[in-house]
Amino acid sequence: MKKKLLALALMLGLTASLCACAAKNEPARDGSDAAYVRQKGTLIVGITDFAPMDYQNESGEWIGFDADMAKAFAESLGVKAEFIEITWDNKIMELDAKAIDCVWNGMTLTEEVTTAMATSEPYCLNGQVVVLPADKADDYQDAESLGTLRFAAENGSAGAAQLEELGLEYVAKTTQADALLEVASGASDACVIDLLMAGAMIGEGTSYPDLTYTVQLSSEEYGVGFRKGSDLAEALNAFWKTAYNEGTVLKTATTYGVQESIIKK
Amino acid sequence: MPVLEVQNIEKRFGATHVLQNITFSLEEGQALAVIGSSGSGKTTLLRCLNFLERPDRGSITVRGELLFDAADPAAQQEAQVRRKRLHFGLVFQSFNLFPQYTALENVALACRLLAQERPDFRANRAQILKEIDERAYALLEQMGLCERAGHYPHQLSGGQQQRVAIARALALSPDILCFDEPTSALDPELTGEVLRVIRSLAERRTTMVIVTHEMAFARDVADQVLFMDGGVIIEQGEARQVIDCPQQERTRQFLSRYSAS
Amino acid sequence: MLAAVTLSLLRGLITTLELFFLTLLFALPLGLIISFGSMSRLAPLRGVTKSIVWVIRGTPLMLQILVVFYGPGLLFGLPLLPRFTAALVSFVINYACYFSEIFRGGIQSVPAGQYEAGQVLGMTRPQIFFRVTLLQVVKRIVPPMSNEFITLVKDTALVRIISVYEIIWMGESYIKKGMIWPLFYTAVFYLAVNGLLTLLFGRFERKLSYFK
Repeated sequence: MKKKLLALALMLGLTASLCACAAKNEPARDGSDAAYVRQKGTLIVGITDFAPMDYQNESGEWIGFDADMAKAFAESLGVKAEFIEITWDNKIMELDAKAIDCVWNGMTLTEEVTTAMATSEPYCLNGQVVVLPADKADDYQDAESLGTLRFAAENGSAGAAQLEELGLEYVAKTTQADALLEVASGASDACVIDLLMAGAMIGEGTSYPDLTYTVQLSSEEYGVGFRKGSDLAEALNAFWKTAYNEGTVLKTATTYGVQESIIKK
Repeated sequence: MPVLEVQNIEKRFGATHVLQNITFSLEEGQALAVIGSSGSGKTTLLRCLNFLERPDRGSITVRGELLFDAADPAAQQEAQVRRKRLHFGLVFQSFNLFPQYTALENVALACRLLAQERPDFRANRAQILKEIDERAYALLEQMGLCERAGHYPHQLSGGQQQRVAIARALALSPDILCFDEPTSALDPELTGEVLRVIRSLAERRTTMVIVTHEMAFARDVADQVLFMDGGVIIEQGEARQVIDCPQQERTRQFLSRYSAS
Repeated sequence: MLAAVTLSLLRGLITTLELFFLTLLFALPLGLIISFGSMSRLAPLRGVTKSIVWVIRGTPLMLQILVVFYGPGLLFGLPLLPRFTAALVSFVINYACYFSEIFRGGIQSVPAGQYEAGQVLGMTRPQIFFRVTLLQVVKRIVPPMSNEFITLVKDTALVRIISVYEIIWMGESYIKKGMIWPLFYTAVFYLAVNGLLTLLFGRFERKLSYFK
C-alpha cells in the first residue's frame, strides 16, 4: 500500500512539474520570432489538405489561396516557405514546440484560436452550412427544422460548435472530409462544414454531385495563427495591406475562386 | 599426499547451518561415497567443491594446492575460480545436458572453448579440434554410446543422457569426479547402466566423490564412506566398515531405514 | 486510378517499413541490455530499470511519440528532432522495454542447471551465454516475439499524429478527395507484410525444433 501511494505521488509530481514547465512557456518568448525565422531561412507553414486554400497540384507542389499567399509572405521576409501537413488537433503544440511557424489553412478565428495563438487580422469571411442530400434539401431550409437529423461534424471545428449551440447531437469526425463522407455514405443525414469547403467539394462536377447545402448557421472569419507573442502576426498585417493595395490579394483569390469571400481593406 | 583435503568447511543459508565442521581427505584413485538423508547437506558439500557455492569458512586443497580459502576473498574472483573448477568434474542429478548440441558436441564443447585459449590454437586449429573430437568420441565409446554420438539429448533415454553427462565431465580430465545422486532422476530399470559405468570408472582408479542413495552400490564400489546428518559428518571410514558395522547410533538408524525399505 | 493509389500507398509503406526495420535494429539490442539491467544483482540498477520499463509499458505509445517530438521544444525550448527521427526514438524506447521483458522471461526460463553445467565445465560467463543459453532463449522467445513484430507493423500507424506520412496517412489523404476505399485498401499491404512475417517466423520455429 505504502509503495502504491509513493508511486501515485511520484506520478502526480511528475505530471505537475511537466505542466509547470509547459505553463512557463506560455508567455511571450524573448527575442523576435521574425528574426528567428529569418535566421533559419524557412517559414514552416502548418496546413491540412484543404482545397481551395491549401492543396497539392499534379506535381506535388502545395498551391491554393492560402499557400500562394504564404509563399509571398515568406518571400517578403526573405525566406522560403515550407509546407507540412499536420494533425489539426496538434496545431497549438506544433507552434509552441517550434515544429511549425504558423498555421495558415483557412483557420477560423475562434476564441480558442485567438487565446492560444498570435493571430493576424481576419482576411476572409466564411460560414458554417448544413450539407445534406439534394433530394431532402427542401424540407430543411431553416435552423428549426434540423432537430430530427443525425449530424456529423469535424471534432472541435466551428461547425461542431454551432451544432452544440443549437443543442444538436453529432458524430465527431477527424476532418471535414470525413464528415462529408458520413453523409455521402448515409451513415449520417447531414453535416456542418465550411461554406468554402462546401463550395469546392459538393454539387455538380465534384465527387459528391448529389449533396447540397442549405442553412447557413453562422458567419466567421479566417486568420493566420502564429506562436503566442510572435511579432510575425504584425508583420503579416503590414504585408497584407501592401499586397491588397497592389492588387495581389484579389488576383490570387480570383485564381482559386474565393474572391467573393475576401475582406476588403 | 591426499588428492583432496577439505578443512573445516562451514556454510550458512541465512540463519541455518547447512554445513558445519566438514573435514575429510581423499587419496588418489579412491572413491568416496557420501550418504545421508535429504537435507543433510550432501549436495551442498558437492556444490562447494565445485565452486557453485562459496563456503563461509574453511579451505579446500587439491594436490597440495590451496584452491579455496574463505579467509582470502581476493582469490575467489570469477576468472581465478574458473581455472580452479577444472580440478573437479560434476555429474548432476538431472543431467543438465545442453539440448541444442549432439551427444558428441556436449562432450567436446568445453574442450573446444578451452582450446581457443591455447597460444597455438590459430596455427593448429584443425588438428586441435580433430583431436578433441576424437577424444570425445572415445569417451562416448567408453560409455557404450558410440552409435548415439550424433543424437540430441531429447532423443536419448535418461540412462543414456546421464552417461553422456559422465563423458562430458571426464572430457576435461578432472582430478576429482563428483556425482550428485546420479541415478535419482532415472527410472529404476535405467539405473543399472549408469551404476555399471561408475563402477568401471572405480575399477580404473578414478578419484571420485559420489553422493548417493544406493547403499549396496556405495558398499561395493566406494573405498570410503562418509555419513552426514544435519550438516555435520557423523561417521566416516572404510565403506564396508561403515555400512556393515556402523559405530554411531544415527548411522545405524539411517541404514536400518534403508534396509527396511 | 488503382495504379496511382497503389503507388502512393507504396510510398507510405516504405516509410512504414523503414520505421519497422530501424526500430527492430535498435530496439532488439537495447532490449537485451535493459533485460540485463532488470536482472542485475545491483538493487539500485534493477530498481531504476524496472521503473523505466514500468513507465514506458504503463503509458500509451501515442503519448510517448508526442512527448518525444514536442517535449524538447515545449518544455525546454530546444530544437526538435526531425519528425521521423522522433517517431523512431519513441518506438525504439517503447519496443526495447517490451522486448526486454520477453528476453527476461526467456533467460529466466532456462533452467539454472544449464548455467551451472557450463560453470563446472570452466566456461566464462559470455561463453555460457552465447554458447549454451542464447539459443535456448531464442527458441523460447520466438512465439512472443512474432506477436510483437506483428504488433509493431500495425503500431507504426500511430506516427501520423506527428505528421510522419506512413501508409495510413496516405490512405486517409484520399478521403478528402472523396475516396474512402484507399484507406481500406491499406489493409492489403499490412496483411501482406504480416503474412510474410508469420511465414518467416513459422520457418524459424521449425528450424529450431531439432532440439527440445
